[in-house]
Amino acid sequence: MSNTKNWIDKRLKIGWIMFSIGAIICIAGITSELKITNRPFDFRIITGLGILLLGIGIGQIVRYRIAAKDGIVAKRIAIEEHDERTVLIRAKAGNRAYWVSTGLVYILLMWISFASNGKLVYPNENILWYFLALAIVLPFGIYLISILRDERSS
Amino acid sequence: MKNNLEELRNQRGLTQQELADQVEVSRQTIISLENGRYNPSILLAFRLAHLFQMKIEDIFFYIPEDY
Repeated sequence: MSNTKNWIDKRLKIGWIMFSIGAIICIAGITSELKITNRPFDFRIITGLGILLLGIGIGQIVRYRIAAKDGIVAKRIAIEEHDERTVLIRAKAGNRAYWVSTGLVYILLMWISFASNGKLVYPNENILWYFLALAIVLPFGIYLISILRDERSS
Repeated sequence: MKNNLEELRNQRGLTQQELADQVEVSRQTIISLENGRYNPSILLAFRLAHLFQMKIEDIFFYIPEDY
């Protein structure tokens, strides 16, 4: 079995795992939304995560199933995924996103620390939720923008 | 870093995709190399040199001011 075939099979397996986990989380989220009346938090956040994983899983399966049937497509996909310029661009984007993420969490940590000393007010639940949501969304946005920018400039 | 990759590729009648396939990189990487927007890894430089049967320094030209 060639290296490319092995690699494609592995990616397909990851796709199916993501699809399965996504489906389970999605079903759990929807069931919780319907069954639990006294909700401690909005269960749509669980369903949303499930839908995201499901989507990624389907994307992977479709992409690599086509590749599994056609050796030329498989080789081209493998080359594109391992392409040194692409890998470098992704690594740079990941690095930038990491520092943004660290910065945001550090700000929150400082805020909580100062609030404990009585120098600042404690963030209420809403502010905390939005701040944590920002700590997820902003680094992801930075990651995507960074990739798009570097794809054009390098 | 400058290079004469485009010239060498044209001399051999290769398309960007064909060259990319032979050295196992994406076509976009070849485009970026030819435009001088991307500097290759040493491994890719060796692959290209091997393909064109030339020395690396005959394909890529190091200019100290660029650093």
